[in-house]
Amino acid sequence: MSHKRLLGFSLAALLFLALFLAPSYLSAFKLSLLGRFLALGILGIGVSLIWGYTGILSLGQGLFFALGGYAVAMHMVLMQVGDKLPGFMARSFKPRITELPWWWQPFESPVFATLMVFLLPALAAAIIALLVFWRRISGVYFALITQALVLAFTTLIVSQQSYTNGFNGLTNFSSIYGFDINSEGGRRGLYLVTVAVLLFVWLLAQWLTRTHFGKVLVAIRDGENRTRFLGYNTTPYKVAIFTLAGVLAGISGAFFTMHAGIISPKDVGIAPSIEMVVWVAIGGRESITGAVLGMVLGNLVADSVSSQFPESWPLLLGFLFVMVGMILPKGLVGLLERFWLHKPEQTKSSSLGSLKSEVSDA
Amino acid sequence: MPEKLLQVENLSVSFDGFKALSNVYFSIDPLSIKVLIGPNGAGKSTLCDCIIGKVRAAEGKIIYKAKDISRSPEYKISQAGICRKFQAPGILERLSVYDNLAIASREKRSWQQNLRLNLSKTEKERIEETLELIGLETRRDLQASLLAHGEKQWLEIGMVVSQNPDLLLLDEPTAGMTAQETAKTAELIRKLVEKHTVLVIDHDMTFVELLKAPVTVLHQGQILKEGSMEEVRSDPEVISVYLGRAHEEPMHA
Repeated sequence: MSHKRLLGFSLAALLFLALFLAPSYLSAFKLSLLGRFLALGILGIGVSLIWGYTGILSLGQGLFFALGGYAVAMHMVLMQVGDKLPGFMARSFKPRITELPWWWQPFESPVFATLMVFLLPALAAAIIALLVFWRRISGVYFALITQALVLAFTTLIVSQQSYTNGFNGLTNFSSIYGFDINSEGGRRGLYLVTVAVLLFVWLLAQWLTRTHFGKVLVAIRDGENRTRFLGYNTTPYKVAIFTLAGVLAGISGAFFTMHAGIISPKDVGIAPSIEMVVWVAIGGRESITGAVLGMVLGNLVADSVSSQFPESWPLLLGFLFVMVGMILPKGLVGLLERFWLHKPEQTKSSSLGSLKSEVSDA
Repeated sequence: MPEKLLQVENLSVSFDGFKALSNVYFSIDPLSIKVLIGPNGAGKSTLCDCIIGKVRAAEGKIIYKAKDISRSPEYKISQAGICRKFQAPGILERLSVYDNLAIASREKRSWQQNLRLNLSKTEKERIEETLELIGLETRRDLQASLLAHGEKQWLEIGMVVSQNPDLLLLDEPTAGMTAQETAKTAELIRKLVEKHTVLVIDHDMTFVELLKAPVTVLHQGQILKEGSMEEVRSDPEVISVYLGRAHEEPMHA
């Protein structure tokens, strides 16, 4: 075990060193791209915690990602337009908007917007988790519920064109806390802050999984009923970790929005929600570092490949997911471990296998 | 009459019309062993499921330490001191032997209280004691899924014991064990009774005899006979429904 941990830590230390030094060897364009994917890595850590550690598969992390992203975007849009209405509102009809809606107004305050990046996803995740886990719904049913919620949410955004700019999303903004993130210095600063936040979240997750709390999470994954009979009320554990993953997704959405300069329903809908889970699976869902690695590498590859075969891309992605599930249940990190530690894979369970057991548990 | 630790009164359970248990009366004295036997489908496991709150009774009461627990949630029943070892080994496969016991030994069970890294001194001591009791000291760092079958069963008994329960339910603790392992398990259980009350469910007769404890025979959801192993053995009714069949088919099924 200690070999494994040493391997993990040295790998992560190297990675973070390379990331912090990236501004010196990457072009501004590539730096921004990398920053965007690192932001997604924060969400990946959340997915690893709930799915890899606790066994809760959520296909709806896009919802919390959207809440964080839109919170920041609303603030930045308001900063950009000053006293005027945002362009899409001024042009709106049905309903025609003449003054800023009440629920947009507090987002003029940077402090409020920042708070909302944490609070909105936390609240949404906690309520969903409480309702669902309290009713002891789990496994595939839970995955479907989260999927449905993300669909409902994106549909809502698209339908409320006058308030949300619908399918086009929020864009045309450049400053946060008085910093211009489109300037070269601002971009570099934003990138470094993203890496720092990612490092902090990574350390937090490392700590959390080593506490007794973290061991109970693994116990829930391996046998939730068993854990209940050992005297643990598992519901609060699941609610707590799902809420944390929601907050991480929200933070991730906020940074993603700042890097990408836009947040729209197509960044947060069903397809991206599934894609996020696929990259974590490929990196190795049972490893925090693996989740980040999968998210960054996966998106880098996707960025160059998907534009060349836009139509067959989802097929390829699905194929990749199934192959990883069958051949590499522990993802790329599992492969590295096997390679360097010369240790045979100890479990025969695959993602498909665990999905099956989740169904039979439910 | 001594105070009973557990008293089951007029308990009935039905699954879609099939009566798994009907009007069962049953009790256990503190710090004693009691054995529950009966042919397959007699309702032994269902009775256990009722006691730990996995299955809800249609009728009747389960009185534990003078309180009716038949409507309490599982984790409350567990916290009140009733623990069960399941038929299939219910260990946490991916954690080490030590961590399995740590999960079971932890005194604080709420998530906020578990955000700290270290086990307390008493918890550590209890884990060591349990490791010694079940004879797995040298296996402590091994992933639980890699243990031999008998060792898994002992680990699970250890997990149940380290919760320091007042009442321990052991469902077929010797299933799939070799004769030697079975003997060792019987010895382990007889050691447990110094501190705990134990209810054993099994149909391995050699094992039940090794326990030297009073036996209750369950048949088609009803109590057929209670008494010592010898009494039960010589009862004509028991022989006809259960023991008699031993001549036709093996008991260890």
